[in-house]
Amino acid sequence: MLSAQDLALDYRTGSAVAHAVDTVSLSVERGSFVGLIGPSGSGKSSLMYLLSGLKRPDRGAVRFEDYDFASLPGARLMRLRRERFGFVFQQHFLVNYLTAFENVMVGAVRRNHETAAYAQALLRRVGMGDKLQKRPYQLSIGERQRVAVARALVHRPAVVFADEPTASLDQATGHEVVNLLAEYRRSGGGSLLVVTHDPAMLTGADRVLQMRDGRLIAA
Amino acid sequence: MGNPLSIWNFYLRNKRKVLPVIGILALAILGVVVTDALLASARETAYATFGSYQKLILVAPRATRDQDLANPLQDSLTRLHDVQLQVDNLDGPGGITSYYNAVIALPAQVRAQLPAVQRLQIDAANARYYAARLRGDLLPLGDLIIRVQRLQTEEKAFNQLVGQLTENPSDPRPLITYLQQHQTWLQSVLPDSAQLGRLQVAVTNASADANGLQQSLQAMNRDTSTLNSAGQNIADLPLPPSPSATIDQFRTALDRLSASLGSIEQPQPGLDQLVADSARIQGTALVKRDAYSNLDINLLAGNAQFDLYGVDQPGMTQLLTIYGDRVTAGRLPRQNASEIAVSEEIARARHVGLGGKLGNTVDELDRLPDTFTVVGIIGGPTRLGVIPLDYMTQHYLFERRYQGLIVVPQPGHEQAVHDQLQRLVGNQAFRLFDWPYIKAKIDSLIANLDSINRFLILLVTLVLSLVVGLLNNLFFRQRMNEFGLLAAIGYSRWGLIRRVALESFGVTVAAWLLGIGVAVAVLSWFNATFMVPHGLLMNVFDWNVLALHTLPIPLMVFLFGMGTVGWQLLRLDPISIIERRD
Repeated sequence: MLSAQDLALDYRTGSAVAHAVDTVSLSVERGSFVGLIGPSGSGKSSLMYLLSGLKRPDRGAVRFEDYDFASLPGARLMRLRRERFGFVFQQHFLVNYLTAFENVMVGAVRRNHETAAYAQALLRRVGMGDKLQKRPYQLSIGERQRVAVARALVHRPAVVFADEPTASLDQATGHEVVNLLAEYRRSGGGSLLVVTHDPAMLTGADRVLQMRDGRLIAA
Repeated sequence: MGNPLSIWNFYLRNKRKVLPVIGILALAILGVVVTDALLASARETAYATFGSYQKLILVAPRATRDQDLANPLQDSLTRLHDVQLQVDNLDGPGGITSYYNAVIALPAQVRAQLPAVQRLQIDAANARYYAARLRGDLLPLGDLIIRVQRLQTEEKAFNQLVGQLTENPSDPRPLITYLQQHQTWLQSVLPDSAQLGRLQVAVTNASADANGLQQSLQAMNRDTSTLNSAGQNIADLPLPPSPSATIDQFRTALDRLSASLGSIEQPQPGLDQLVADSARIQGTALVKRDAYSNLDINLLAGNAQFDLYGVDQPGMTQLLTIYGDRVTAGRLPRQNASEIAVSEEIARARHVGLGGKLGNTVDELDRLPDTFTVVGIIGGPTRLGVIPLDYMTQHYLFERRYQGLIVVPQPGHEQAVHDQLQRLVGNQAFRLFDWPYIKAKIDSLIANLDSINRFLILLVTLVLSLVVGLLNNLFFRQRMNEFGLLAAIGYSRWGLIRRVALESFGVTVAAWLLGIGVAVAVLSWFNATFMVPHGLLMNVFDWNVLALHTLPIPLMVFLFGMGTVGWQLLRLDPISIIERRD
């Protein structure tokens, strides 16, 4: 479904070259939960950016379904990201002046009653049913992240990319957030790729990949 | 289900950030509209005030005429001064008073026996009386003579300075300092119409008194001759002063002064002929002799002189007919009366109604002698003011040289009549005032204000563009997370730019409309409470001012704001925002 072949990404500072991702190949099967773990600076976030199309690799190829990212124009790749991928980041990035419900709807591709009902259902499922009209500043950090999860899922993405989604949360809230994502995967929503430095968050993963110095060292 | 990122949602949820920007822009637009409207008003009011020139040509003497340049007044006064000293001597030691004292000192029995001595005594008393009167007459003349002498001294000093400037053209400072120091005094020296009037009276009196003195002195001579021929010489009786050349010279000098005053006070030579010749020009609808004068009025851009036409009574009616005006209250001025009929806007500007007073006793800048009573209010498309020709030309304070003629061409013949008039005037000391000339003068006056206004609009636009652009950028930086996220989850870059553009566009359009709306309200209020009561014109709904002149502000602000924000959005790297750990 989502596969990468010999992916490489370099960061250049003057004449020095740092290999953020160094010849990585992997595949994420439909409906699977893949964990990507590694210390800070190991290249796991960069790999996630390459897999999600947020960055273009210096070398190698990424394929999603029938699409080869290298041959997709920027606008098409952006649309693909918008329609088929969901994102959860370490920070919630909620829009300050919108309510929790409206923030979820920001992630919606089609804005109709069905999507609105689904957004509300998602918020209820993440325990925010009574806070639909609350603004981000009226929510706790954990609640904001749950809204961010709902936003990532509202358009029923084929792949959910979560980059350190629990880093700014306490252990219990972190588990809650990962469980919510895992539940989406279990209910047949799509694949899940979670990048984290905390192995405890990946207990339900089908596969855990470890990265160090830009390379996958265990699969 | 609406778009949560719609611009309406944005405006509603960000009122505290959006409204101040709208307010600042609206205020600036209000400022531009008000200054622009006042400027347009100044121009329109000036056009309306001098609108009568659209249908007539005023033929008036040049401001400085040949006889003024020759300065006969000054020449006469200089001559008069020389002989005035001799006249004074007539009354001095050995003069009339000494003689009178000698006559009345004769023993009473001698005077009783000789009737000729009694006559001599009466004539000597008369001569003394006229000499005393003459001294009184000479006071105003003396004052003017002193001024003229001072003027001559100043002229010498001025010539020296001019000489210095010629030698050293790079240093005009002494001349400038001199002019600055003497400006007020030089103006006071120049005789005004009131001074000329008083001088005329003094000259007339002096002339009569000099005549009386001369006759008394001649009678004294005759009396002395009679006594001598009768062989009745009386010892110790001195010879009477001779009427001599002194008095004759004095009277000649007075006559010259009188003539000088007269020539200054006379209409330009050739005026009657010019009136007659102008009437023969083909295509004229009306030709009238005109004792023109004016009223001081405020035009917003500064004070101006509203021209009054001093014509005969048929001329007044004809003028009103030509302009489509009519008397809406009262009547036209009567013959030889200090009366005026004036347009209602001018009456409002001067705060007068029927029975109100105008003239230089009310406002010293009015060139109307003494006081005129408003007897008629004129309504209609053109602002007019009419006064009686005969009253003006006979009033001692009216400078008779300010007489000319008005020529109204028939429609379609304006240029032909103008050209013919110009040919008639030729090298005479007359000049033509017509609408193109007046309009050019108004435009030239307004052009300076216009330039200042344009510069201000440019400055306001630039400053506002910078300020609002800066605010936009600050606001944009606060929303960086929002744009970073949207770009990361797949919102297109151009879509984001379009959204920000719509937001900015909405703000600037709202500010523009609000500014124009408030400006219309402010101008309407100002128009009703100030402009109309002062006879000033203002078009509140001048779309040229409201729309066209204000457009650069929202346009520049939008372009500048969007330029900077759009540039940042194009270079936006969502990953750098996602990876920020703040």
